[in-house]
Amino acid sequence: MIESTLIMILIALAMWIFARSRGDDSVRRGVNVGWQTLKRTLLLLLIAFVIVGYVKVLAPQDLVRSWIGPESGLRGVLIGTIAGMLLPGGPYVVFPLIAALYQSGAGLGPTLAMITSWSTLALLTVSFELPFMGWRFSVLRLSLGLVAPLIVGLIGWLFIAG
Amino acid sequence: MKRWIPDRTTLFLIAVAIALAGLAWLRGGFPLVVDGLSSGAGKLLQVTPLLLAAFLVAGLTQVLVSRQVIERWLGSSAGWRGILLACLGGALIPGGPYVYYPIAGALLRSGAGLGVLVAFISAKNLWSVTRLPYEFALLGPRLTLIRYAVTFLLPPIFGIAAEAGFGSKIDGIREAMR
Repeated sequence: MIESTLIMILIALAMWIFARSRGDDSVRRGVNVGWQTLKRTLLLLLIAFVIVGYVKVLAPQDLVRSWIGPESGLRGVLIGTIAGMLLPGGPYVVFPLIAALYQSGAGLGPTLAMITSWSTLALLTVSFELPFMGWRFSVLRLSLGLVAPLIVGLIGWLFIAG
Repeated sequence: MKRWIPDRTTLFLIAVAIALAGLAWLRGGFPLVVDGLSSGAGKLLQVTPLLLAAFLVAGLTQVLVSRQVIERWLGSSAGWRGILLACLGGALIPGGPYVYYPIAGALLRSGAGLGVLVAFISAKNLWSVTRLPYEFALLGPRLTLIRYAVTFLLPPIFGIAAEAGFGSKIDGIREAMR
């Protein structure tokens, strides 16, 4: 956790220096955009961590393990994929939740499938896609998108975790 | 529409949090309700410095990569080059679905190919540079690295597959959106 924090701070520092070198108000605008995002998402973030806390203390580890544990195989990857589609909200809500499940015993394959399927197939996102792209495009993209979590989950399960 | 969906999400998540607190109450009474809250608060405090840095990185990225530049790139490109540029544009474009779908819709209307559009959206979904800091902060380096490595080739493959398999359908898709 400390290494991750240091890496992120270094990246922020590097970008800060780069933004400064442009000699305009990039730094100020960048900090402002970050701050606005933080303000907008703070409530969601707080709720997400309340949920994370309860998932942690309530997590029926046996249940998590048997549904999406390291031994759950293809079925776990499928369940992870479906769960990812249903997860609501942006990254600040979804990532802590998935992390909590991972720490409660979810396997690598199902976890990766969940992250990927939330990224490519989230139903809330599709509701934005339809009005702009039409259902034909959505059907085509979603059928390709469905391949992604399955591949990622299977690779995680077969080659990395086990 | 822009305001409506996040609101629903918030409400839904509040309901989930309350339901979970209720479940904790049934299982272990008041102490377990407090346990859950303090466990969540502990976790949040632990990631706060990382999260603050992540918000700063995401904010600076958004300022350093302008939306207009990406739109200009993609509007005039096609074929293999177009698909690769679309991947890059999708990876760099900041913002949620209410930002990139209007752009994708505009590209569709202005004549972009199917492969370019699929590659753009897939890269936004799988390579997003502005999401990377949050993923790193909240899921940890291991999951993030594996996930990016494993999905690295997918956006261009999806773009090429869509173009090769269904590229000719784009006019029908475009017509339907007029």
